[in-house]
Formats: sequence, C-alpha cells, structure tokens
Amino acid sequence: MDIIFIALKDSLSLTIKLLFIILPLTISYEFLKHKQSSISRIRFSILGITHNGLVPLITGIIIGLTYGAGIIIHSIKTSNINKKEAFLILLFLSMCHAMIEDTLIFVVIGANGIILIVFRFILAILLTYFIYRSELLNHYVTDAENKEIKDKSTT
Amino acid sequence: MNKGYETVKKGFLNGLSIIYTMVKVIVPFYIAIEFLKQTGIIGHIGYFLKPFMSIFGLPGESAICLAAGYFINLYAAIAVVAPLGLSSKDITIIALILGISHSLPVETAVTKQTGVNAWFMLAARILFSLISGFLLNILWTLFL
Repeated sequence: MDIIFIALKDSLSLTIKLLFIILPLTISYEFLKHKQSSISRIRFSILGITHNGLVPLITGIIIGLTYGAGIIIHSIKTSNINKKEAFLILLFLSMCHAMIEDTLIFVVIGANGIILIVFRFILAILLTYFIYRSELLNHYVTDAENKEIKDKSTT
Repeated sequence: MNKGYETVKKGFLNGLSIIYTMVKVIVPFYIAIEFLKQTGIIGHIGYFLKPFMSIFGLPGESAICLAAGYFINLYAAIAVVAPLGLSSKDITIIALILGISHSLPVETAVTKQTGVNAWFMLAARILFSLISGFLLNILWTLFL
C-alpha cells in the first residue's frame, strides 16, 4: 500500500513539473499559429524545400506533428507543394519535430537537452540533403507523381 | 487586446487538456512500474532484454520505456523512465531514440494525411531512432 501511495505522490509531482512546461508552450503555440503569414513571407529555399514549404516545416519543428497536424496537413495540401517537396518536409520532420516540448519534458527527468537538439538537427539536415541530392527519391514517387512534379514545374 | 486574451485562453485550455491526457497516462503507468519493480518482474524483463539493449548502452529494463514511447506516447515513456532511476546518459539516449520515434500510431496517421508514403516514414523513423541511439552511445563514451 505504501508503494502505491509513494508512486502516486511521485507521479503527481512529475505531472506538476511538466505542467509548468506544457502551459507556457501551448499558450505560445496559439500565438505562433497567428504568425503563419509572417513565416510565409520568408523567401528562401533549403534542402529542396521552397518557401511554400516553410510554414509546415517550421510549424512541425516547433510545435510537432501531433499538435501541429492541422496546420501541416492544411498547408501541404493547399499551397503549391509537390510530392517530392512534401516528402522532404516530412522526412526532415520525422527526425526533427516538437523540438521544444519533447526536449524539455526529458530535461525535466535528467536528459541533456543541448545534445538532443544538436544531434537531431544534424541528423535531419544530413538525411534530407542526402535524399534530396540522390536519385533515391524517384523510387518512392510513382510515375504519375513524377509526371505531376514535371507538369507543376513547367507551369 | 481582446484577441490576445482569446489566444491566451485557447492556449491555456489546450494545455489543460494535454495535462488531463498526461495525468491519465502518467499516474497509472508510474504506479504499475513501481509495482512491477517490487515484484521483481522488471528485473526479469531487464535480464532477458539486456543483450539487445546493450547495443545502445542501456540497461535491459529501458526496453519498456521504448515500447511505451513507440506505441503510446512520450508521457507514458516518461512515467516509465522516471521510477527506474537511470543515469543522465541513459535518459539522454532514450530521449533521442524516442524524440525521433514516438506516438507512432497517431503520427503515422498524420503523415498519411499529408499524402506522402507513411510506411516509408514509419520505417525511416524506427530505423534512424535506433541508429541514433547506437551512435550517441558511442560518441558519449568517446567524448564525455
């Protein structure tokens, strides 16, 4: 019985620690959502991701795939992003997303946050760059999609 | 100014709903792990999985954290990690593996919605999370 009581106390105190991280974050996320237009004003392309792709990319890196899902799905479907670019965005995000929340909740229980952030950014950049530069990607998009990419790039 | 207030309110409510989900996961998991630790079951699992987890320089029982993170979410994983009393190095390696690859059922569904090959992304995430864990263990031992 004692064990259960101690575990209950410990788990609740862990939750309270996480609460101090989660609440400020979710509030700032709401403000960030309104900043979408200022992100889309940034004009540069990186790793095969054009300025169209920066909204889902930056949203994913900061907010993450679960809570940023709405913005990411919407912006990939509605803006002029081709399949190859969407693939590169999702590949980057697979390695590197929710960088603030995921990192902080593990720092609370003792992880080294700087190592986590640096390692994941380097991994995401190298992997995306490698796939972008190589011919590998052509195997993952069908002929029809390839044609679509070509059509889009000519218009 | 009213718009700012609405934004704060929405963010606050979102935060509360996340915390509610968190409590529902963390409290039962934490108690279950503490209980399993007392019965010695965790020790057996740890012994059994030691050869596999030593690839990442982790103790065998941390396999339970990875499973909780992969299939459920990071809060479940944290509830499992916290009572195990691991070192900062172990927690950083687990955080790296799980940061790349977590909540797979939910996030694979999100990936699918964007129209890209979700199965490829799933495979890439699992593969690279394990490779990263392996690499970080080596780098940490060499340089820190």
